Amino acid sequence: MAADRVTVPASDRVVIRAERLGVRYSLHLTRKQTIRDSIVHRVRRVGDPDFWALRDASFTVLQGESVGVIGPNGAGKSTLLQVLAGILVPSEGVVEVDGHISSLLTLGVGFDEDLSGVDNIRLAGAFMGIDHRVVEERLPGIIEYAEIGQFIDAPIKTYSAGMRARLGFSIATSVEPDILLLDEVLATGDAAFREKSKARVLELVREAKAIVLVTHDMNWVTEYCNRAILIEKGRIAHFGSPDEVVELHKEHMAERRAEAKEKGVLRLRTRTPGSGGRRRKG
Amino acid sequence: MHPRATLPAVTATSEAPASFRSSSVRPGALSLVQGGIREVLSRRRLIAYLVRADLRKSGSDTLLGNLWWFMDPLLQMLVYVIFVGIILQRGGAIEDYPLFVLCAILPWKWFQSAVGDGVSSIVSRERLIKQIFFPKLVLPVSTTMAGVVSFAFGLVPLLAITLIFYRGHLSAWFLLIPLVAVVQLVFSLGVVILVSAANVFYRDVGNLTRHLLRMWFYLSPALYPAELVKEIAKDNPIIADLFALNPWTVLFGAYRDLIFYGRAPHWTGLAILLAVSVVMVLIAVYLFKRAEPSFAKVL
Repeated sequence: MAADRVTVPASDRVVIRAERLGVRYSLHLTRKQTIRDSIVHRVRRVGDPDFWALRDASFTVLQGESVGVIGPNGAGKSTLLQVLAGILVPSEGVVEVDGHISSLLTLGVGFDEDLSGVDNIRLAGAFMGIDHRVVEERLPGIIEYAEIGQFIDAPIKTYSAGMRARLGFSIATSVEPDILLLDEVLATGDAAFREKSKARVLELVREAKAIVLVTHDMNWVTEYCNRAILIEKGRIAHFGSPDEVVELHKEHMAERRAEAKEKGVLRLRTRTPGSGGRRRKG
Repeated sequence: MHPRATLPAVTATSEAPASFRSSSVRPGALSLVQGGIREVLSRRRLIAYLVRADLRKSGSDTLLGNLWWFMDPLLQMLVYVIFVGIILQRGGAIEDYPLFVLCAILPWKWFQSAVGDGVSSIVSRERLIKQIFFPKLVLPVSTTMAGVVSFAFGLVPLLAITLIFYRGHLSAWFLLIPLVAVVQLVFSLGVVILVSAANVFYRDVGNLTRHLLRMWFYLSPALYPAELVKEIAKDNPIIADLFALNPWTVLFGAYRDLIFYGRAPHWTGLAILLAVSVVMVLIAVYLFKRAEPSFAKVL
């Protein structure tokens, strides 16, 4: 389905342009771990199944826009974000990004366990390509915001999960990106930190040129996004106003649940929408 | 390995690209290699941080900390002196056997740790690679560079031992050690870049390199003089040729010439090794860059 551009653009400047974007996972490449497996694979002449995590995705994001990406699990939301961040290279099509990107895809992973909090901040800054002077300048702010206290000089391996998440969030949001990519970061930490992080994300929404955010929080999409993308089975099912897209998503989820019920798949009644769909995390 | 994915046309002139275009169009070999070299040069600070992190970690859990940088080569030397010199009684043929062995242990420890850590340098950063875009080439490069520092520290006990026990071996040729080290650095880079990328696709590479490294050490003239092999291989030109082609025959020989014999190294051998290593690095960077887009998918 083609994307329809209905909303009023915040500006005419295109900051992200995706054209017929496709990401293919060659299962033969991803599953094979050892040479033995690969030989077995060859001998048995198993076909080379390809899996398109994302296909035929065309859309543009304008400066000042906040785009919510929703869809069932394994639909390709995270894959889309990874392509926009440059982490994955498209197998098909083109993506053009104009501006500095900060990707906050999963919090707190990628820390070096044996290094102290401070060293990890410096290292993360260097990995993100931030000038070291800027990192040094922001160091106190990052530490303070993360509420790590005196633990900041202790190795990360002594940190609790909450401390890691706070530090990760603090680092990733300390940069002032033109384009911010967020993947389900609104649900980390305890209630107090969640409130704080929501406020910070909103602040960034206001500052940044553009935001693309993957979330299961439909209220956030309708409240703070000015456009939304519904991704299903690796394709853009709809691109339009948040209300419209969330409505469509809810409809599809209801259909899917009814279908599953008919097929006799065991399902808990209390499951929240968004838990259906296929395996595979991008 | 058959990386089927395509390549980025990311322009990374500044530390963080201000814009990029990523498409399925595959750039040519030359621009891949150029891009790889540019990435490494523009991310010098990241490499420096990674090296520092590596060094800080290596001593942080031990009582003696960085003293181990001095102790490690000395203790290893002691093992070989006891084993070869006393138990097998083979060291007697070479005068000052401890220094003879130490000349080889120091550069080998660097190579061993560079390749050993380098193999897993990409795989161990899996989670980061899936989160942030950065040139992956900095990872194998930084593990290789980390070895330079510990090698430099290892020269301190070498110098001390020479001054105290083997004053006769001390010569101005010591000053040329960095020159040989540069050849070794380029050679190591090529090897480490290759194995780090290969290990992403085949985890066997990690296991294999451990054993290959050990075999390589014993098949190179580290514990024995090169003349010994020449003697054995007198009637077998193939073995003699293979032995002469072994980069570590050249490197051990050069270090030993400078430190132990106090004479000029085999310049032609070093020059050829350097030339071959440079070509190897270029090929390694090309293959690495070709495989790089698949890393995030395969890991």
